[in-house]
Amino acid sequence: MFVARSIAADHRDLIHDVSFDFHGRRMATCSSDQSVKVWDKSENGDWHCTASWKTHSGSVWRVTWAHPEFGQVLASCSFDRTAAVWEEIVGESNDKLRGQSHWVKRTTLVDSRTSVTDVKFAPKHMGLMLATCSADGVVRIYEAPDVMNLSQWSLQHEISCKLSCSCISWNPSSSRAHSPMIAVGSDDNSPNILAKVQIYEYNENTRKYAKAEALMTVTDPVHDIAFAPNLGRSFHILAVATKDVRIFTLKPLRKELTSSGGLTKFEIHIVAQFDNHNSQVWRVSWNITGTVLASSGDDGCVRLWKANYMDNWKCTGILKGNGSPVNGSSQQGIFNTSLGSANASLQNSLNGSSASRKQS
Amino acid sequence: MEKMARVSTALGGNTLTGRTMFCHLDAPANAISVCRDAAQVVVAGRNIFKIYSIEEEQFVEKLNLRVGRKPSLNFSCADVVWHQMDENLLATAATNGVVVTWNLGKPSRNKQDQLFTEHKRTVNKVCFHPTEVYMLLSGSQDGYMKCFDLRKKDSVSTFSGQSESVRDVQFSIRDYFTFAATFENGNVQLWDIRRPDRYERMFTAHNGPVFCCDWHPEDRGWLATGGRDKMVKVWDMNTTRAKEIYCVQTIASVARVKWRPECKHHIATCSMMVDHNIYVWDVRRPFIPSAMFEEHKDVTTGIVWRHLHDPYFLLSGSKDSTLYQHIFKDASQPIDRANPEGLCYSLYGDLAFAAKESLISSDSNRKPYIGDRRHPIFFKRKLDPTEQFEYISSSSALSVFETDVESGSMDWFVHTAKQYALAGRPLAELCDHNAKVAKGLDRNQVAQTWTMLRIIYSSLGTMSSTNLNHSMGKGSTTLPLMNSFNLKDIPSGLGSESRLDRSKGESRTENILMDSSSTLINNEDNEETEGSDVPADYLLGDVEADEDDLYMMDHENPHAEEQEYSLPQEAFPLRHEIVDNPSALDHLQDKADSPHVSGNEAETVSLTPVESFSLISISHSLYENRLPSDFFNPIVRDTLLFYAEQGDVQTAVSVLIVLGDRIRKEIDEQTQEHWYTSYIDLLQRFQLWNISNEVIKLSTCRAINCLNQASTTLHINCSNCKRPMSNRGWICDRCRQCASMCAVCHHVVKGLFVWCQGCSHGGHLQHIMKWLETSSHCPAGCGHLCEYT
Repeated sequence: MFVARSIAADHRDLIHDVSFDFHGRRMATCSSDQSVKVWDKSENGDWHCTASWKTHSGSVWRVTWAHPEFGQVLASCSFDRTAAVWEEIVGESNDKLRGQSHWVKRTTLVDSRTSVTDVKFAPKHMGLMLATCSADGVVRIYEAPDVMNLSQWSLQHEISCKLSCSCISWNPSSSRAHSPMIAVGSDDNSPNILAKVQIYEYNENTRKYAKAEALMTVTDPVHDIAFAPNLGRSFHILAVATKDVRIFTLKPLRKELTSSGGLTKFEIHIVAQFDNHNSQVWRVSWNITGTVLASSGDDGCVRLWKANYMDNWKCTGILKGNGSPVNGSSQQGIFNTSLGSANASLQNSLNGSSASRKQS
Repeated sequence: MEKMARVSTALGGNTLTGRTMFCHLDAPANAISVCRDAAQVVVAGRNIFKIYSIEEEQFVEKLNLRVGRKPSLNFSCADVVWHQMDENLLATAATNGVVVTWNLGKPSRNKQDQLFTEHKRTVNKVCFHPTEVYMLLSGSQDGYMKCFDLRKKDSVSTFSGQSESVRDVQFSIRDYFTFAATFENGNVQLWDIRRPDRYERMFTAHNGPVFCCDWHPEDRGWLATGGRDKMVKVWDMNTTRAKEIYCVQTIASVARVKWRPECKHHIATCSMMVDHNIYVWDVRRPFIPSAMFEEHKDVTTGIVWRHLHDPYFLLSGSKDSTLYQHIFKDASQPIDRANPEGLCYSLYGDLAFAAKESLISSDSNRKPYIGDRRHPIFFKRKLDPTEQFEYISSSSALSVFETDVESGSMDWFVHTAKQYALAGRPLAELCDHNAKVAKGLDRNQVAQTWTMLRIIYSSLGTMSSTNLNHSMGKGSTTLPLMNSFNLKDIPSGLGSESRLDRSKGESRTENILMDSSSTLINNEDNEETEGSDVPADYLLGDVEADEDDLYMMDHENPHAEEQEYSLPQEAFPLRHEIVDNPSALDHLQDKADSPHVSGNEAETVSLTPVESFSLISISHSLYENRLPSDFFNPIVRDTLLFYAEQGDVQTAVSVLIVLGDRIRKEIDEQTQEHWYTSYIDLLQRFQLWNISNEVIKLSTCRAINCLNQASTTLHINCSNCKRPMSNRGWICDRCRQCASMCAVCHHVVKGLFVWCQGCSHGGHLQHIMKWLETSSHCPAGCGHLCEYT
């Protein structure tokens, strides 16, 4: 059962990204109106905007939180060709009395010559690192050598992907067996059959990122890509939002079997492919255990996908953006899942409360 | 075809056709201008001055106006303009301050017509009057604007802006006498051509130089200006004070603005630095360009719409020495690539979803997207300027889908983490307890696993006499009571006590680990001797329990002496005592071992009705066959792997901890470490710090164990005298006061002590929290506005 809680976001243009922080208590939104807003959850579950500020001089495509160990830190990227790192300042200002917090820009990353389309912090165990990708097909990896100094970032790696990049995802696995890995999606729409998802892996020997795999079956523009939280799995799960939703598993083959170069070879399987959105799929997001995938598409619906014990992925719920009932949701099934009650009875019923929604 | 039809009607039968094309120039262009018939374009720059004709497939060079042996500076053009009424008439602004007119009708090779050398510095802009053939206006770096009558040798009038350099001058299209001038100091002035003494009106439009302006071709009141402050502003000049009606923020300083013909709200811009693209904006949607031309490799210096009434063809010249014709159809549209939706799963299973209003509005239930939106990227809509942006005021709806407690939320994880018992009790009890927890949360499979684990690992020991069992049962219940008490204390955070007890627990587990090899042997011994040495164990266990009780007593009346609070001094010796105590060691082994519990088995089995009958019978057969204790290890290992692969690392780690050495060898260190780090990360996400710390402590991986000992140093100042404390105890050496007094209740704080890093006052967590609800000042009265983060 989901209950829709509508929030008057009050952005003056499209919202392009929503992001929860590590603990799920804060939320950041970014919009074409060049601003980022931070929302804090109150005791009674309401979301209050505690900060709203102009971040860039172009559309802000993505916003993402750093691990709280590094402070309350956000990164944003924009059409204005920059990415920026922001830190919340707790000071003895009047802001606190108004329930507002103060965010200051710690750095601007200006290396890109084109729109920066995604920015993601690396998993915590890698230190304070972030990756950006840009429309000219370059993935850049920055590191803050001193985690206490957020204004100093050095460009560590530049990976040329040859294709206009739209999204990136770090492999979150903390296992020593898995080298740092980053998946890049491209929204290149020229009619070619190049793989639109590439996976780069860090090679300890050369100290460079090298292309480990390309998902040859994905040839349509990719809008979003997400590794599932790893949680001790030996393999990786990757969700891809393209003209449909696809879920891949990447099983690293044993090192002994991989011939040379130190790059891991993967056994890649597509475990699910759904075109239920009947349109472009814009976003994919995993739940915290990596067992449920949410996807959203041009049909304005959020669909939830979950594997049953046979590893068959099925739709377990449809959420309509405006809270109205969804037709044709009979396809959903209820499974006895291996996780017990976890999400077994996920339903699509919605009690829409769209009182505060503006109509354009 | 529809588009072409529109164009042809607009142009009175003269259709424009063409494609995106370019030609190389010999030198960088500074400015371009088109002929009235839209068939020719003039390109001017420092080293170039040429006329090209625009053919269907290409540009063809028609005329090179730079003639003569020694190139004069008069040819070095900052600006060029082609007269819109007389197609033979051109004017250029030279960088040396000369205004030159050119007559293409001249028979000689040199088409230069007139030379006005009145400006002292570079002329930035020249502009013909839109309807008056002979009137030419210039604006110069020297701060003057001059109006020339081409029939005369000299300027007719000079306008002094009284401010800095003039960057642009533009005749109003509708007001015969009016022109606008923009200045480097950010001002815009309006002049009446008949009154050279004083401007009609002046206002500050931008921060920093205003590089350009353009009158709206249809609406007489609108003037667009662009400046170094990266803004394009549209001013309504009809009112007495110029009113800013639109403001577009671009990503670089704006060098040129040009209203798009036939599209009331569209304006094209290019930049003079950094950004090489040409953007077309809808001023009503100021954040994202409606179209973008990305062809140029260097700064675009001149943009011009090919025809006065055609919105589809744009010409541009650039520093990269190319001349381009852009077709609107080929423009990239950033909004098409822009993501209209945002989606994020929160920790607790809530979903935040932001989507374009039009996507989720109720009438989109008609499913209109199957046909035409399926490949929206490939499919470029035909641009009809009237309805180009149907969602002009695009906005998104943001909503959070909240899971309720029963279904999708992650509450089960938190509950499980909190309730699981991982150590400090006999295996069977741990398993039973955890099975019960899992069962209580309707996680039957996990409950089943725990029960099976208990059967597998507890039944392998000795089945002893009832008498013995009884005593053992007693032994094993007293101790766990102790332990459960300790565990309960930890969350409430009684500093020294819990620390002490924890250190004891630690030593216990350490002992277990240290004797991992001997455990099995011991186990077998037990089997052979049928538990003959068990009574001794029991006694020892009793002794230890008494010891514990003694310590507990100590803590119950802690105010006996102040020395009590100096935690480190006390804690460590005690710990060593325990470790050194061989009896405790023996006891611990047994406690962790199976024989104690085996007797209770039947009882507990009957208590848990979940279990199937077959399971019990299996347990019997196990016992009878006396299978080696590691017989089931591969199966258990596979079970754990299964849970991990399913994303339930919690179960995997919990079992790993509870089984300890029984299973540890079966799973390689790296995987274990991976599980631990994943689980600890999850616990920390849920802010279950105590549990995560416990897991770290109980883990057997070296890499994990050291996690909570890494790089945490506390430097403590005495809250009384503000001097740094030596790290011995909580008594300040200097002022002989106990440092950890609660500023609210003035008692010594044991357990969680919270203090402000600013004034170093603090106290009981609860007290401080309560205090801060009513006041933001320090409870100690020091006047500090305390910050607790």
